[in-house]
Amino acid sequence: MSRRAQDNLVAAVLLALFAGVIWLCQDFGPRARMIPLPLAIFGLILTAIQIVWQNVGSTDELRMDMIEVPAPDSAGAQSGPVAATRPAAQRGASWREEARALGIVAVLLALVLLLGPILAVFLFTGGYFLFTRHYSLRAGVIYTAVFTAATYLLFFVALEIQPYHGILAPLFAQ
Amino acid sequence: MLEAIGAGLAALLTPQAILFMFIGVVYGLVIGILPGLGGVVAMALLLPFTYGFEKAATLALLLGAHIATIWGDSVTSILFSVPGSAKGLALCFDGYPMTKQGQAKRALAASATGALMGGIIGAVFLALCIPLIRPVILALGPSEYLMMALWGLTVIATFSEGSLMKGLIASLLGVLAAFIGTDVVTATPRFTFGSEFLMDGISFPVAMIGLFAVSEMMKLAIKGTPIVDRSLVKEVSTVWQGVMDAVRHWWLVVRSSLLGLWIGVLPGVGASVAGLAAYAQAVQTSKTPERFGKGAVEGVIAPDATMGANEGGGLMPTLAFGIPGGESMAILLVAFIGLGVVPGPDMLTKNLDLVFSMVWIIVIANIVVTIIGLAICPALARLPTLHANLMVPIVLSVCFVGAYATRSRIEDVVVAAVFGVLGYVMDKYRYSRANFVIGMVLAVMIERNLHISLTLYGKDFLLQRPIALAMLAFVLFTAALPFFRTWRRNRRKALAT
Repeated sequence: MSRRAQDNLVAAVLLALFAGVIWLCQDFGPRARMIPLPLAIFGLILTAIQIVWQNVGSTDELRMDMIEVPAPDSAGAQSGPVAATRPAAQRGASWREEARALGIVAVLLALVLLLGPILAVFLFTGGYFLFTRHYSLRAGVIYTAVFTAATYLLFFVALEIQPYHGILAPLFAQ
Repeated sequence: MLEAIGAGLAALLTPQAILFMFIGVVYGLVIGILPGLGGVVAMALLLPFTYGFEKAATLALLLGAHIATIWGDSVTSILFSVPGSAKGLALCFDGYPMTKQGQAKRALAASATGALMGGIIGAVFLALCIPLIRPVILALGPSEYLMMALWGLTVIATFSEGSLMKGLIASLLGVLAAFIGTDVVTATPRFTFGSEFLMDGISFPVAMIGLFAVSEMMKLAIKGTPIVDRSLVKEVSTVWQGVMDAVRHWWLVVRSSLLGLWIGVLPGVGASVAGLAAYAQAVQTSKTPERFGKGAVEGVIAPDATMGANEGGGLMPTLAFGIPGGESMAILLVAFIGLGVVPGPDMLTKNLDLVFSMVWIIVIANIVVTIIGLAICPALARLPTLHANLMVPIVLSVCFVGAYATRSRIEDVVVAAVFGVLGYVMDKYRYSRANFVIGMVLAVMIERNLHISLTLYGKDFLLQRPIALAMLAFVLFTAALPFFRTWRRNRRKALAT
């Protein structure tokens, strides 16, 4: 998918989101919608203009829009506070790499929900070390155990956070 | 008064007070570094342990911990672009690029020294201004607070990275995200879809963890190499360089500290706004604004000085009126009750020595934090060289546990993951995450103060509040300034060619 198509897709999602907010606001009283409704309308208009703009200009101009901001020298590339935090490698990231990164987050989330934070931390960290083969099995297990123990002691013993045992906890209890 | 200053210091020289101060500072540094847990959590967790001890020692423990979290927050922002809490956000913009350029030691040292100088300025002004600030605070009402919040929105242009349109859309998304939950004015559930969890709204620290920490780890997983590859980028800076940077930019420190002090004095505005406003102020007043976002040390010094001074400012309304300047000050009020101290005008007469004890605590805690900070800077600066395969599982795990720990609700982990993906998409398609956060921070403040202003003064509230009107003029001027500068620069370029 071209960069322009991706940008259009994101903008279309935003457009739908602002439209949804406007629709939901109809159920609120006049005071409750006093701020969200005009802002959502404003957002809808801005997004519509953005879609038009990014389809009128050249691909290079996707980095800028009609209202220029005085940051940076040329064409906004590699400038401004946000750009500074963007690793160069990301711009060339393939969809496979992005899917893998998303999968990493999804796996940890699933583990936390199913097994609770501590068991999830142990399995996720150990699995990650094992999968990437960054450490030997023995070193990976030791690091994982030490890290999990430190996390448990810090959050659940020292800070007395209420533990969560996961959706599967009743199965284990039986 | 001199007697009270001496008595305030003497109360802190007992073994118990010294020990409590040290424990508080070390504990605060650890909590500050953990994602999602900031000064509020640090103080709240200490509260049960404070009863039955000396007053000064108890306050040394609480305030010491709170002050240490400020620099703790900054550390992860600078090293990994992972803010420990909302306060540390502004440090990501220049601190992280400095780390990637092999200047982590310099950035950390500048941050610690900036916070120390800001803290001392804040403490001194607290001591001097308590009797003077009363009429100023009483002159400000909801309309003026509304203008303050609107002024906060003017920084959006600074963070919009070439596209103000996308910057505005991002901030509107942030505002709307802040409206998820029960409306504080009308008690109407908004955008909750019948979910009991969403009634409480989106937790701000959890959203921050997702938007910045989780999305940064996704990026690191894709990159697959350390944040700083020492084979490519050598550590070229020293701790001393950072210290001297803060001293050399003393005027920036003073300006930022006064801004932090002022924001601290205003109840309910908060240090997260202060850090962002300080960064914007540093950019707007710099002769070379194009350096910001690429590793300008001023972008590190200004927010830290502001946040250091903010604590002194936050104490003013807490002590003088019993009105907490923020959440952490509300916890301090609870501690006061436990200690049998009644905040208000009596603090300035009957308990003046206790007030000066607090001033001294701010000064001493800042010094202790800076000494520890400068000592551990070289070790901390090595952390970004750890391989992505080690960083990703560890930081992601801590982020998810931290998200859960914020409110002990498992749904918050889902929120952190969702915001993580959102943060990644926003960053990739150049919708500023910083603007999203600014919108989220200011949304509730704008809505609440607008409603109160309309109720108290009617639709023409601006005409009835001349200070608010003057502030609106200032807001419009500040908002227009960047565009005027662009127009002037383009004109000069056109004339030159």
